[in-house]
Amino acid sequence: MRGGFGITLASAILLASAGPVCAHHSGAAEFDSNKKIDLTGVVTKLEWTNPHAHFYMDVKDASGNVAHWNLELASPNVLIRNGWSRNSLKAGDQVNVTGAQAKDNSTVGTAAVITFPDGHKLTFLAADNEK
Amino acid sequence: MNRRKRLFPGLAWASAVLLGLSPAAAQNTDKGVNLGLYRNQPPAPTGPAGKLADGTPDLSGVWLGGGANDADISDPRGLKAGSQVIMLPWAADLVKKRQSKEDPEANCLPAGIPRGSPYPWRIVQTPTHYFMLFEGNIHSYRQIFMNAQHPADPDPTWFGHSVGHWEANTLVVDTVGFNDKFWFDYKGHPHTEKLHTIERYTRTDQGHMTIEVTIDDPGAYTQPFTTAGRATLMPRAELLEYICQENNQDLQRLEGPARGPGGR
Repeated sequence: MRGGFGITLASAILLASAGPVCAHHSGAAEFDSNKKIDLTGVVTKLEWTNPHAHFYMDVKDASGNVAHWNLELASPNVLIRNGWSRNSLKAGDQVNVTGAQAKDNSTVGTAAVITFPDGHKLTFLAADNEK
Repeated sequence: MNRRKRLFPGLAWASAVLLGLSPAAAQNTDKGVNLGLYRNQPPAPTGPAGKLADGTPDLSGVWLGGGANDADISDPRGLKAGSQVIMLPWAADLVKKRQSKEDPEANCLPAGIPRGSPYPWRIVQTPTHYFMLFEGNIHSYRQIFMNAQHPADPDPTWFGHSVGHWEANTLVVDTVGFNDKFWFDYKGHPHTEKLHTIERYTRTDQGHMTIEVTIDDPGAYTQPFTTAGRATLMPRAELLEYICQENNQDLQRLEGPARGPGGR
């Protein structure tokens, strides 16, 4: 498999699906790619910090209980070079987030794709503004 | 093969690509070049490498890439042909025991030499000192004393004591005086204070550089080995701030044995 992996596939995985690519620790040691998350809620805070940006969102279940999620992104430097700004995601934004949950089953995850009601998207790495 | 096995090897390979170990690291798009984690960047120039006013080869600029595979330094893709990483038994045992959360990198401590990061770095040349300014690698720097000697008994440090000289168009950096704290890679390859590194930096054209690092540590390895890395210029890029200690939430959640970013 080693020799057969093409750059196109690697880049596609890296830049589009954006699994737990982490710059300073093993993403696989923190997040479980088999534990998919698909959350819809309201952003309560963005931390534009190193080594990772984080955002927090409140997610209501069917019975009205609210879970507080902490979702990890790449570092601000990676995000900035890929089109994000610190204003790309703000408290009060209603979004859908897909990604993977932490291995410890806490309400912590890595955000692969963030979708806004108007259809534009942000990913773990990049602001695509896809409609 | 389940999804996990498909996904993580791809990421591990991507990690090698990030560090410039693949000649295909720069991928053209209609808006520029995807380089490591950075998409739509201006392409690296390919004209002849320049010289400083005094005739010294000019290595200056912001570079992306490094001297070795930071996921696993023993991966043959990151080694010079014929080089092999063979650990002494104690070192091999230690690698098996190490945990991801113990990695100095995950603890926002320096990466030492030659472990790279997906963040760019800059070389600054003065007549007496060369500096490597790292955006990642905890936003630290290395200093290389040109045409100087090592002290007789340097205090052990994370980056050691580095002296440099030129051999034709290749900058040769000789470093001793390391502590034994940093890991060569995410897998946890260790070293001792006997470590001696010789780095060879050659700007092959304006936008590209090869980096070979000979690692000689008779305290941990049966024989010296040499890595084969490369770096690509990021034209017009500037280093940004990266203070790893600011909000390092990950450490408390890292589980399991030391392994690469993609899981292996």
